[in-house]
Amino acid sequence: MYALLVLVPFFSLLALNLPFRELNRRLAFGFAAILFLLQMGLVFIPDVYFWRVHLSFFANIFHFQLAADILSKVVLFCIGLVSLTALCVSRSLIKESEERFNFINIILLAVAGMNGVALAQDIFSLYVFLEITAVSSFILIAFEKDILGLESSFKYIVLSAVATVLMIAGIAILMFIAGSTNFSVIHSALLSQNRNLLLSLSIGLFLSALFIKAGLMPFHGWLPDAYTAAPAPVSIFLAGIVTKVAGVYCLIRIILSVIGFNDQLKGILLLVGAFSAIFGALSALTQSDFKRMLSYSSISQIGYIILGLGSGTALGVAGATLHIFNHAVFKSLLFVNSAAVESQTGSRDIDKMNGLAKQMPWTSLTSILGSLSCAGIPPLAGFWSKLVIIIALWLAGYKIYAVIAVLGSLLTLAYFLALQRKLFFAQPNDEFKNIKEAGFGLIFPAFFLAALIVGAGILSPWILSNFILGFNSLVGG
Amino acid sequence: MSPTAKDTTMHYSGLVLGAIFIPVLGAFCLPLAAKVSKRLRNILSFIFIASSFILCLELIPLVLSGQTVSISKQFALGLNFSLLADSLAVFMACVSSLISAIIALYSFGYISHYENQNEYYCMVTLFLGAMIGLIFSANLILLYIFWEITAITSWRLIGFFRDKPYVLKADKAFLVTVFGSLLMLIGFLNIYQQTGSFDLPVIKESLKFSAVSNLTVALILAGIFSKSATLPFQTWLPDAGVAPSPVTALLHAAVLVKIGVYVFARIFIVNITPDVLWHTIVPLIAGLSAIVSAGAALIETDLKRIIAYSTISQIGFIFFGLALGNEVALLGALLFILMHGLAKAGLFLCAGIVEQNAKVKDITKLGGLISTMPITAISFLFCSFSIMGIPPFGGFFSKYLVFSGALAEGRLWIILIYLVCAFMTIIYLFRVFNLVFLGKANIPAREASPMMVKSVATLAILSLVAGILIYYPYQFAQKASWQMLEVIR
Repeated sequence: MYALLVLVPFFSLLALNLPFRELNRRLAFGFAAILFLLQMGLVFIPDVYFWRVHLSFFANIFHFQLAADILSKVVLFCIGLVSLTALCVSRSLIKESEERFNFINIILLAVAGMNGVALAQDIFSLYVFLEITAVSSFILIAFEKDILGLESSFKYIVLSAVATVLMIAGIAILMFIAGSTNFSVIHSALLSQNRNLLLSLSIGLFLSALFIKAGLMPFHGWLPDAYTAAPAPVSIFLAGIVTKVAGVYCLIRIILSVIGFNDQLKGILLLVGAFSAIFGALSALTQSDFKRMLSYSSISQIGYIILGLGSGTALGVAGATLHIFNHAVFKSLLFVNSAAVESQTGSRDIDKMNGLAKQMPWTSLTSILGSLSCAGIPPLAGFWSKLVIIIALWLAGYKIYAVIAVLGSLLTLAYFLALQRKLFFAQPNDEFKNIKEAGFGLIFPAFFLAALIVGAGILSPWILSNFILGFNSLVGG
Repeated sequence: MSPTAKDTTMHYSGLVLGAIFIPVLGAFCLPLAAKVSKRLRNILSFIFIASSFILCLELIPLVLSGQTVSISKQFALGLNFSLLADSLAVFMACVSSLISAIIALYSFGYISHYENQNEYYCMVTLFLGAMIGLIFSANLILLYIFWEITAITSWRLIGFFRDKPYVLKADKAFLVTVFGSLLMLIGFLNIYQQTGSFDLPVIKESLKFSAVSNLTVALILAGIFSKSATLPFQTWLPDAGVAPSPVTALLHAAVLVKIGVYVFARIFIVNITPDVLWHTIVPLIAGLSAIVSAGAALIETDLKRIIAYSTISQIGFIFFGLALGNEVALLGALLFILMHGLAKAGLFLCAGIVEQNAKVKDITKLGGLISTMPITAISFLFCSFSIMGIPPFGGFFSKYLVFSGALAEGRLWIILIYLVCAFMTIIYLFRVFNLVFLGKANIPAREASPMMVKSVATLAILSLVAGILIYYPYQFAQKASWQMLEVIR
């Protein structure tokens, strides 16, 4: 029945653009909000009521195979959460109703694509859903049709096209070897094969494609531009979830379900992950544009997720997945904060701003929580996922990488403290004396996400044991 | 277990949980209380801290009879919620919460005309709660969590005044201590891999017949030294003197810097026996740190920086006593925590009064204040006597016991370093007193509000009383040191 998660957003997109556009335009916001809330709620429904109900009717029409496990569910929840946040923010930042209607339409398309990615069970559907997601993000980045947006959207198209070519080539070779595109069929075919050049080539092609999509260093060129040039709701959407699903989730899924871990693969993942974690953080240290700093921070945090994956154990993958969730929450929160600051002051240059804490107390408070969670300071949510990743690395014997991950947290803390110092603390200067706190539409999502960070942080010990158990069957051996 | 015994256990567990969570949860109610009235907020803040002190006091009879309270809830990966109240923990908790309560009273006056008061009271209360939580933690990760909460709160407290250099120094303190604690976390992971647990009692059992590596010890020591501002991580502490005086008293003197000392005692004396090598290295590092900072205190002219350097120097004595590891030195070190906390908090609060009323921190510009603020001057003198170790003030007994414990170990050349330090302490404190309170009055300044003066006088009198009635803290500390060394009497 989870095919509905793909089909409902897709068909509602069509329905919204049929006659009665005036009416639809008014209903679209509420409709999308309910849809995303439902998606978040569905994750908590016991398997028998939703996830195991099979609809043969749909299966006969649409030939794609879908399945959901704990990894998919976490990602589906994040998709719902971040889309809802972006939707809320768009209400106060995209003023014109026609524009907002377009935005909601494209978001629905992207959600249909991402849900498909999260549920796909064969490699070709995965590719198709990825492309749906990618196309909608091209449009979103250039949403305001300004020169910067178009430029960075074009940059993304070019790099994404490269990724597509690599991926298609990889899929073709895998299909040639296994004779099918189904995950499990390819997996068993790979197990029976000896390692040969063709196989390594296909895996290599596939991995590089996903590294580009995930924005890992050194494939990250498009990411800071795209996040920075896009309008605020789009930045939230892209940073919070799109690149996570399109790059990181796919990487985890392909490795778990198709390729399987081996020593070389772990070595590559650890190296790329550590490189991104450290250099992402170092680059973030030098930024003076609020959103650019957050973009580099994203690269660094994706590095952490890949480090967790690279440990090759159930614990590490659990930590990585938890970090996807935490990253979705705190990075969305920080982008909401940046939207609030930008909408009130008209600038993103943190060197120019001073002492906003007094005028914007809620933005300041929530951004502190988001920053500290990102830096992995207990008892906030980000601490637990980083701790699980570090413990997993340590127990798997990759002690050097664990040390890199630990000290990377210090860099994260350093750039966030610099951000806080420049933006919020320090004495206010005259230019910004009359700034007011952002409106309810920006404060409410920030508040909700901050509450989630604190709540998840305090409740994590209770959740962790069940959560980690769910990954044992997934990772296997 | 009989029903009454069960009830008593419940009762004592309740006390421990209350001592931690009343201030931790209460802290977040304070901004709400401020909506009703500012007075209510201030009083509530004091009540939360004081109730923590009273609950800890109630635990004293139990731990003196040799029993302990432990609470444990198991979670995945050994991230258990385990608390343990033994005599060391209760001793430490009583000292911290007592001093914090007096400092909270002092804040009513000191902080009343600055901005961001809500944040201030929230953070002070949260800090004390986290400190008590850290003291009672019996799980390394739980300890780490509380450790970092104290780091967050001290970051906000040091950056209380929003001028750029101040905020920079707050960030520096945060980064240095977090750097140390991250190294410590790596050390904890090493222990976890070796023993399969983060729970201290389990670690103790499984390390009975094997040793931990020197690298692990060094990593954990880095965390401890960074928090206790010992060489080579000491620089953040004098810089943190930009904070409001009650904060510096709370952080530098009484409570925060003692975290490192306490964790040293908790981990390396009670639970893990490090290599013999460390019995020389730790006193040596602490001795160097003590003598360097005593020298800095001699030439510095900023009142609060001098006292901050003095703290670094005195912390060295505590490490010395703890690292020696014999009963007398340990006893001395525990008493040192109490006596130094009382007296140093008193000194910082006196400095706060001087700074606020004379508007100057440079001691060369001050003078003759004894005529206009006599109570503050006398209190300063009393607290200085205690720090110097002059009988019958409390500080004498603790310093004496540390030295006599050291003599029993017989490493004369290390003792010599500390003797020089003790001598320098006397010189620099008299220098400060002389320049600030004696001589010609340059700046007219009057006595501060009655509440502030009273709290300073309380600390000074407590320093004296703790020396005259040394019997009681001595008994308590002796019980604690026996329990730590597992001596059965």
